[in-house]
Amino acid sequence: MTIDILFIWTAFKEILKALPTTLFLTIIPLFAGFLIGLAVALIRIYKVKYLAGVANGYVSFFRGTPIIMHIMLIYFGFPLLIDLISAKFDWGIQSNSIPISLFVLTALSLSAGAYLSEIFRSGIISVSTGQMEAAYSVGMNTFQAMTRIVLPQAMAQSIPNFTNIFIGFLHTSSIAFIVSQKEMTGAANIVASTNLKFLESFIAAGFIYWGLTIIAEGLSFLIEKKATAYNRGGVQ
Amino acid sequence: MGKSFDLSLIVDFVPTLIHYLGVTLQILAASVSLGMILGIAAAILRVFRIPILNQFVILYISFIRGTPILIQLFLVFYGLPAILLFINIDISRMEALYFVIITYALSSGAHFAEIFRGAIKAVDHGQTEAAYSVGMNNSQSFFRIVLPQAIRIAFPNIANAIIGSLKDTSLAFTIGVMDMMGRGETLIAATAHGLEVYLSLSIIYYAVVLLFEKIFRLYENRINRHQAINVSATG
Repeated sequence: MTIDILFIWTAFKEILKALPTTLFLTIIPLFAGFLIGLAVALIRIYKVKYLAGVANGYVSFFRGTPIIMHIMLIYFGFPLLIDLISAKFDWGIQSNSIPISLFVLTALSLSAGAYLSEIFRSGIISVSTGQMEAAYSVGMNTFQAMTRIVLPQAMAQSIPNFTNIFIGFLHTSSIAFIVSQKEMTGAANIVASTNLKFLESFIAAGFIYWGLTIIAEGLSFLIEKKATAYNRGGVQ
Repeated sequence: MGKSFDLSLIVDFVPTLIHYLGVTLQILAASVSLGMILGIAAAILRVFRIPILNQFVILYISFIRGTPILIQLFLVFYGLPAILLFINIDISRMEALYFVIITYALSSGAHFAEIFRGAIKAVDHGQTEAAYSVGMNNSQSFFRIVLPQAIRIAFPNIANAIIGSLKDTSLAFTIGVMDMMGRGETLIAATAHGLEVYLSLSIIYYAVVLLFEKIFRLYENRINRHQAINVSATG
């Protein structure tokens, strides 16, 4: 087995075509997870009756099991559930007409929600209660104080964590290839097996992921500098 | 898929799958110990800014943090035999298990390196000066005074990294390792009950993660047991 350096470039171009799918499988779950995570964090911080227990169980289970389990459980479980409900109410929806990517997106969104809720929780808790009191003292109510004062600061503080989650889920989307999603790892696998050049293909895929990670880190650094501009202290 | 859901199958599947937990834990133990050694060595090269090697370690950490573990697994699986063939060593028949251990050791090594570097920097410089003042040399003060304290500081992050590794081992089956996931795949092929198999696997993984978290919390309390006393003694 010798390494065909030129083929790395061929594979690179081929795998790059799957970049939109990878970004799609990264960004949509993070958006959905953002909303789930924020709701779950607030439920846990305010210890909402009944819901707090459910939220704790959700976060604990999703953080306690590998993400491939979430994909597989939903990939195998949802079709059964949909067929069952559909048969009961005579909806006439066939589970096999639903694209697999929808199941993958659901699974990744639920995982992202669990991880993001922990980030929000620590972000919100780290903004001191004095900020809340100051907001009350100028006549804001709890909702206003939360949305105008605490959350913006919590978000700014959470940017490094958001970057890690983004990079984490960029990498996690590679697992989707196991359920035949043609994202970058899936594309690399196809290029590899049709040309029997496995090493070259995965080197190319590795370079693309690495490049994306470095770009994400650079962008995050710039955004963090802007978002925490209020916090530079007395000396500029 | 295809067949109807049967909850009672989980009672059969869990004991069958748990037999293979040993393989998962073996991968974890081997890769974490190797990764720890690699991580400490890499952190030392970074902290003391050893020329050339420092840059090499930066590149290594950046690559590991920049690529999915699945890609790393494939790169080692296909790449290592190719590299070793250049020096006439043929490992193409080596068991997949060892490729997995090498990959996870390299991966956790990079994460441990960053954790240890942060922790070493968090130890007060006065500790090194105090060590010098009682006549220790560089390596004595580092290995006897600074590193033990750094490990205590790093412990919560190390625990998280180990649990992360445990969950990552669920991908080893992609190169044909017969761990819990690998056995699960054969169960699905034989019974066509995918959901029940993955529910059983989730139960096992979840239980093991909860157990690990519990043990780590107890151990963390133990290694921090002198902390409160120290604070009150100085205050």
